[in-house]
Amino acid sequence: MSCPHAIPDLRSTPLLRLRAHPLRIALVGNPNVGKSVIFGRLTGRYVTVSNYPGTTVAVTRGRAQVGAEVCDIVDTPGVNALEGPLSEDEKVTRDLLRSGGAELVVQVADARNLRRALILTSQIADFKLPMILVLNMIDEARGRGVDIDAEGLAVELGIPVIEAVAPEGRGMGELRDALATAARPRAARARGQSHLHWADDTTQRFRTVGHVTLGRFREWLNRAVREPLTGIPILLAVLYVTYLVVGVLGAQTLVNLLEKGLFGTYLNPWATDLAARIPWAPARDFLVGQYGLVTMGMTYAIAIVLPVVTTFFLVFGFLEDSGYIPRLAIFSDRLFRAMGLNGKAVLPMVLGLGCDTMATMTTRILATPKERLIAILLLALGVPCSAQLATIMGILGGISFLALATLFGVVLTQMVLVGFLAARALPGDRSDFVMELPPLRVPRLRNLLTKTVLRVRWYLGEAVPLFLIGTALLFVLDRVGALAALASAARPIVTGLLGLPPKAAEVFVMGFLRRDYGAAGLFLMARNGSLTHVQAVVALTVMTLFVPCVANFLMIVKERGLRIGLAILAFVTLIAVGTGAVLNGALGALHVSF
Amino acid sequence: MSRSEQPLVQLPPGTRGRVSRVTRDLTGRTERLAALGVTRGATVRVLQTFPGIVFECDQTELAVERTVAGSILVELDV
Repeated sequence: MSCPHAIPDLRSTPLLRLRAHPLRIALVGNPNVGKSVIFGRLTGRYVTVSNYPGTTVAVTRGRAQVGAEVCDIVDTPGVNALEGPLSEDEKVTRDLLRSGGAELVVQVADARNLRRALILTSQIADFKLPMILVLNMIDEARGRGVDIDAEGLAVELGIPVIEAVAPEGRGMGELRDALATAARPRAARARGQSHLHWADDTTQRFRTVGHVTLGRFREWLNRAVREPLTGIPILLAVLYVTYLVVGVLGAQTLVNLLEKGLFGTYLNPWATDLAARIPWAPARDFLVGQYGLVTMGMTYAIAIVLPVVTTFFLVFGFLEDSGYIPRLAIFSDRLFRAMGLNGKAVLPMVLGLGCDTMATMTTRILATPKERLIAILLLALGVPCSAQLATIMGILGGISFLALATLFGVVLTQMVLVGFLAARALPGDRSDFVMELPPLRVPRLRNLLTKTVLRVRWYLGEAVPLFLIGTALLFVLDRVGALAALASAARPIVTGLLGLPPKAAEVFVMGFLRRDYGAAGLFLMARNGSLTHVQAVVALTVMTLFVPCVANFLMIVKERGLRIGLAILAFVTLIAVGTGAVLNGALGALHVSF
Repeated sequence: MSRSEQPLVQLPPGTRGRVSRVTRDLTGRTERLAALGVTRGATVRVLQTFPGIVFECDQTELAVERTVAGSILVELDV
């Protein structure tokens, strides 16, 4: 089926001509309407696409070939408005339009929500840039009985209006063709109306909504996930399946296969054999010794963490694309409000389970500075990232459910407590809880796989070098005796307060480089039996609460400045050690052995 | 023609109506809601009231806290 698009009268001048620089085209639109999908279609570059508002929080640029001309395409964070009170990511988009960062605007709209899209169209029109309107997800709109007269709308607005289903590529050819006929729209200002009135009128004239109900199962599911009686059991089931895939399949089955099989049986013995030919002992140790690049660095990165993050990214991507995650905000709003946030904060918190560094950036979707600060603090304090989460599951899941429950109980309590206090100690306000729930969808396998592959590649590119650097650092520290000195300096805390073996001090050093690196260290210690059950729980609790990794720390500094970064670092370390000490004491006093 | 205007927060699930107005305050709440399509004339349907309020406005599903729902006044369909 072809997507018709309507070209308005010929008042518009051709834009695609010889020019000094590539034409800059901005993709602008309400959140979660598919701007990033269209960006990917035009540029061939993949940017993360999910089914919730706020996946894109910064501007992404890419090149596209349109006919004979090269264009710069700019993907922008979703905006509900360009005037009035704006969130931080909305300001990013407004500033881009205001500063002349775009010469042509392609507004992407969710066809179901024409009215909201037109309010925005009218505001974009005030920037006086040539425009095209893309009615995306036209198939879903029709499925819900929404019918839009695109040709009429195009004539009314004086700009090309294109119907599209971006994930399938429908309408993309028409969009490319239409670039030449983009024009300044006639909207509210041209008619002397307010944005709202104009959008209301125009919607009424060009849209009809028939009465169509979703399929019975969809209707039921939609209701079931948001109502407490069914929603809570569904949440528990989701957590359990996640645990099965990540904690059992990833952290146990696949890790065993890779670590004992691939590395233990083949790679490490081979590497050791090869290295035996090197006549210089320190070089041999550097490669295959206790802190060897292969035997420690690569083993940790590839055999222990990789299977875990891969399985996690798969499950996580599925949940992201299904539209399920924002619905958790309904249940958690009250709790978050006690912590100076609102239900919206569930997004950065859950994303933190993927990677705290990325999630720190996502806090931009929160409305006030106070909310962003509290969310960043809580992410740094308590939210374990994917790799860490899975090593926790791998170690504690093998001990007992009680051990796992203790850790999560302590960490959650600590987060709520800190959030509660921060809400009262920090100046500023929280914002209203108003959240859009995206439609539930069956994730597209292709997007899920692409996203997972890219994230795994990102992990390999980012984490593996750090693992190797970390291993090299440990090797050097060990050689010059600094590791022993550090361990003995930390002994009063590590052994005294926390009741852990002295070697655990090393693991905490590794943990700062990357939390998952530290967690992998604990994983091995627990495996060789150098940690008792109680020690494992205490060590992992401290590691979870412990300082964020270097990357996360740098991101905090980037988002909030060095002073706040250092303050968070100091505060979090103090809380981690304090909590560990209390936990250790309490477990001892209660004679808990898990 | 008896038409009653009631705050959204007091409506039971299943209620249908149209937004008659949104109470103004100083935080820009009205503008934020307007940007999401919650303005005079928009059709609403209450979906759920506990633990949070969920309603459908036009074609958008929104979850809001009680205070916000209190400021949205709805004219019920008779």
